[in-house]
Amino acid sequence: MIQIENLVKKFGSIRAVDGISFSVQKGELFGLLGPNGAGKTTTINVLSTLLPPDGGTASIGGYDVAGDPSAVRRLIGIVPQEIALYQDLPARDNLNFWGRLYGMSGKALRMRVEELLEMADLRQQAGQKVETYSGGMKRRLNLVVGLIHAPEVLYLDEPTVGIDAQARGRILELIKELSGSGLTVIYTTHYLEEAEHLCDRIGVIDRGSMVALGDKEELIDQVGDQDHIRFHLPTARIDEFTRAFSGRQDCVVSGVVRGKMELLATDGARLLPDLQSWMTAQGEQLEQLEVERPNLETLYLNLTGRGLRE
Amino acid sequence: MRMLQVVRKDLLRFFRDRRALVVSLVLPLIITFIMGLSFGGGVFGKKGISAIRIVGVTDGIPQMLRDPLTEGLEETGFFSVTWADSNTADEMVRGGEAAAAIVLPDDLVERFFQFEPIRIRVWKDPGSPLKAGIVEQVIERSLSPIQAGEAVYAGLWPEDIQPQRNQEWTSTLESYFQGDVQSVWKQWKQADEDPFWDIFQREFTRIMDRQAALSDAMEGPGVALEVENKAMTDAEGPQDDVNLFNYFLPTFSVFFLMFGVAAAARDFHREREMGTLNRQLLSPLNDRDFVLGKWMAAAIQGSIQLLVLFLAGAVLFRVNLGSDPWSLPLAVILTCTSAAGFFLLITLVCRTEKVADTLSTITVLAAAMLGGNMMPVDQLPDWVRSVGQYFFNYWANVSFSRVMVSDENLLATPQPLLMLGGSTVLFLVASLVAYRIRRAKGGVL
Ligand SMILES: Nc1ncnc2c1ncn2[C@@H]1O[C@H](COP(=O)(O)OP(=O)(O)O)[C@@H](O)[C@H]1O
Ligand SMILES: [Mg+2]
Repeated sequence: MIQIENLVKKFGSIRAVDGISFSVQKGELFGLLGPNGAGKTTTINVLSTLLPPDGGTASIGGYDVAGDPSAVRRLIGIVPQEIALYQDLPARDNLNFWGRLYGMSGKALRMRVEELLEMADLRQQAGQKVETYSGGMKRRLNLVVGLIHAPEVLYLDEPTVGIDAQARGRILELIKELSGSGLTVIYTTHYLEEAEHLCDRIGVIDRGSMVALGDKEELIDQVGDQDHIRFHLPTARIDEFTRAFSGRQDCVVSGVVRGKMELLATDGARLLPDLQSWMTAQGEQLEQLEVERPNLETLYLNLTGRGLRE
Repeated sequence: MRMLQVVRKDLLRFFRDRRALVVSLVLPLIITFIMGLSFGGGVFGKKGISAIRIVGVTDGIPQMLRDPLTEGLEETGFFSVTWADSNTADEMVRGGEAAAAIVLPDDLVERFFQFEPIRIRVWKDPGSPLKAGIVEQVIERSLSPIQAGEAVYAGLWPEDIQPQRNQEWTSTLESYFQGDVQSVWKQWKQADEDPFWDIFQREFTRIMDRQAALSDAMEGPGVALEVENKAMTDAEGPQDDVNLFNYFLPTFSVFFLMFGVAAAARDFHREREMGTLNRQLLSPLNDRDFVLGKWMAAAIQGSIQLLVLFLAGAVLFRVNLGSDPWSLPLAVILTCTSAAGFFLLITLVCRTEKVADTLSTITVLAAAMLGGNMMPVDQLPDWVRSVGQYFFNYWANVSFSRVMVSDENLLATPQPLLMLGGSTVLFLVASLVAYRIRRAKGGVL
């Protein structure tokens, strides 16, 4: 359904999207995961024909975004990162306006609007100005506006930013339902757990490049099967420790990470007794011990060197 | 038409936006009324307005008195004075050549020396009631120090207030003031042998010295004046009932209209920032429909604003809306389409709303100054008028003043309407081009 090859988008000297490639199957829920400024919104803007690409190709449903933008626009619906609504109008007037822009009218429009209000659980408040809504209500309305013309592909650009956990849960449920009904979705987020929970496949994007791509298991495989072991080690012991453990086959000393010494071990369970006895021999306690099994967050840290900032 | 959906949505928002309604309708109404009601302060009280032509009636006014009068009147900065006999003056006023005639009484000199109140009449040109109103105001205002002066004089030198009512005395006196300065001077020099001269000289010097001392103190001429208005024609309607709102309402309304329409046009930037513009770009709405929609919404908001202000003026202040049914509506619509086009263009060439806000405010003030919203169009100095012609509001002001003040039919002399219509087309084409350029550069995101 969506084919993207070596897509490039520059803003002056900034390469906001720097040669990314991926494809999304029909009905698939594809996650584009990356920190702020990674290039997610820029990618969405190119895929929705708002920005012309500077290199590479992208096609939606067989139509090229640069060559046949109006055909692409007919296929897609977009839920932008910001609340792109008329806050001084009620939900119903907002939906009516967008529906009429797509040429809907009369009974068909009325029915579609009611359907979407129902979907967003806003029927009760449909006559109140949007500015009086809670963050979650605005986000839900923002979402269903993107569906007004029943698109085949939906782009969701960080649709849960700035709302509480409960409101977020409702939106994720809604997206799951939509995806289950056959809609093709590209979902961008900087929340790892959302991507993990929601998406069939995930592309991790950083500084405009796709740094990892695949389903959850494939991504975790990319991390390798190493366990991360972290513990408190007095600074005076660092050199000694490094000398003692760097010669071993079953682990790598990766150095001080977030104030703790970190080891990557092929099998943490086997390494721990050795570590314990070495520390005891030095007259130290093994304190603040953490053992982390491979997961997406470790992958993400490894790939981008950055945490997933809120 | 998709464009109409944009218009409909924007108008819905306008009517739901209480602040916009207050700013564009309620506030202008209040301010216009306050300004109008307090006429006489500020607006016309500035120098530098092109001089209002008035004519002084010469009958019985010796040349010697004319010169200081002319000087005094012209010094106010309001008037340019010519002199004519009463018949010519009458014709000039009726023909609109002069805004007003100031008629000094024939027996001015006699009365002056006998300290009787001098009555000055003002003949108004019914065609320019405002100017005549200014003449009246200025004379009235210069009265109070004069009247105060008279009271002081009477207190200081009561003997002067009971002068000898000697017919011979005054008629002889008058003969000394005939002709121009030179001939008067000559007469005065030859008067040595005249037995009357002695008394006259003594009396005259005494009175003049005191008058001079007094007027130094009062900084005003030592003459008592009394104003009497006299409407000139027998034309229909009460001529004295000059409705200043006929002038004020349209000029102030257009002034506020510019702010209102500029704010409406800036909605482009608000939509851009809200992200609703992007959504529209992704819908089947094309560039032309979007730009035209925004333009039309702003023009309709402006028309509503003007109509409300004018109707309120008509109901509350009996403002004249003209007798031709087409002139005023056409002027309103074309003014608003031109204003909307102009401010949309400004909005589109500015990068952000803030820049657009600043630029449109500066433009509104400059246009108001040059185009005749700070003072009536026909009061503008020539150079301002020639610059002002390049602003749409100049033509709006001309249109409204023709309809509401002179009650003309604009279709008979359609130049102002054609200018407004032509500028609308020009602004719209330029706006479309500006929008396309902006979009191509990615400047709508
Ligand atoms: N219109 C623009 N002009 C210049 N730089 C931009 C523009 N839009 C985005 N960028 C830059 O491109 C990069 C990617 O931004 P964006 O796609 O918004 O990231 P994300 O959505 O992942 O947070 C950032 O460095 C951002 O500063
Ligand atoms: Mg973004």
